[in-house]
Amino acid sequence: MPNKQRTITREELLRIIQLCESIEKSGIDPFTVNVRELLQKLRSILESSKDLETVVLDAETLYRVALVIALQHRWLLEKASNLFVDTQIIATRILAADKRALASCLARSWRPIVSGEQLTKKMFIAGLEYFLSLPPRAGHERKLLLGAGEELQIDEEALLDRFRQRDVLESEIMNMHRELLERREEDGGLDYWSFISLEGDGRRVERAYVLAFIVSEGLAEIKRNPITGEVRIYPLESKVERSNPTSLAIAVRGREGL
Amino acid sequence: MSVGESEQSKAGRKLAIATAMLLFSSHRLPGVRGYELRRRLGKNYLKIIDTLNHRLSPLGLRVKVVFEEGNDQPSDEDFDRARFFITLSEPLSLSDIVAAGWRIDDLAILSATLAYLFSRGGKAHQNEVMELLETKFPKWRIEAAMERFTRRGYLHKDEDNMIYIGWRAFAEVDQKELVKAITEISPGLSETSQDSSETSSGEPPSPSP
Repeated sequence: MPNKQRTITREELLRIIQLCESIEKSGIDPFTVNVRELLQKLRSILESSKDLETVVLDAETLYRVALVIALQHRWLLEKASNLFVDTQIIATRILAADKRALASCLARSWRPIVSGEQLTKKMFIAGLEYFLSLPPRAGHERKLLLGAGEELQIDEEALLDRFRQRDVLESEIMNMHRELLERREEDGGLDYWSFISLEGDGRRVERAYVLAFIVSEGLAEIKRNPITGEVRIYPLESKVERSNPTSLAIAVRGREGL
Repeated sequence: MSVGESEQSKAGRKLAIATAMLLFSSHRLPGVRGYELRRRLGKNYLKIIDTLNHRLSPLGLRVKVVFEEGNDQPSDEDFDRARFFITLSEPLSLSDIVAAGWRIDDLAILSATLAYLFSRGGKAHQNEVMELLETKFPKWRIEAAMERFTRRGYLHKDEDNMIYIGWRAFAEVDQKELVKAITEISPGLSETSQDSSETSSGEPPSPSP
């Protein structure tokens, strides 16, 4: 078989494969393809060319055609289960209908899922307990060690009760933001650990909690030096919108410090 | 305590566990798989679900089972792989849905998209859907709504821009009812009810539930 003829045959088979693939992917009516014609073409190609490459490609094409036949079978089943509703009929009805009529159709057939996604008090306390039980991160042990025999006492219930009142939390945020601005150093920042411990170890967790809100709200930036491990807060005069916000987890712990 | 009471309290506890599992989203998606229910409730979990269904019925709720593949006679394995949800048993009125924060435009876009996809065997190219919807809505609104519905699981889009019916639509929308409702639309009547003024203006989109 001359090379030119072989190339044409190959291209023809590839075209058929591509056609079958596009039908499979796009979901258009698989009956747009004349399967009988394709099979006849395949037979004639196989009869005229017996080289290995063509036979392999021919087998691949036959497989694709078989998939189209399977799609035709499924298409018929779906049509039957849809009470023979044709896409054209649906499209025509959609074009003819106004928005409210379309919305009413959905309302008639829509039964929304009922589920709960709220954070419960129990879950919040479990989360806080987990947060407090996290082990200290390497390199932070020295910074805020309590004295010998001292233990950080946190009344979780009292803390939660205090922050349940939204206005209390908001005023805490405002006050702390003001304090941050007043205490900032020459570079515009201040040390995280020193700041949250300013009012003693007893209020450290509370201050860390409020500070987390300030950072999340965009009223301050928090940066951690990857080499020294130093964490610094950079308060901002006004709220900023962050394009790529990231999270920084800091474990604040009782007895061993941080 | 008698044996009967003990059995009753055991069944009551299992019902409570099943309700909590179905109502509370323990994963990213609501609902639970059959095998999760079997693990917690035992091999007779389908009976418990059936009892729960009867208890929910007076409240206007029901347990909906969504199989991975449409199946007329599901086997135990099909139930294991299926996802169980609690849904409303009766549809809401359009005014209730609007009062819940949905826009008429968004509902109409979802309605038309799902009806078209159902008639196409569950999938269609994005361009085809857009072309159909653009006869009624501005492009930015369609794109915003489609993105929102994809995020919420009503639609699914793959890398070839094919749009599929999402898991939530399978769980919440009655395919036959929707297609029937659409085919019953009378063009003459629908033109008279162009009163979706509260939502169909060209204002920018606001978050929907």
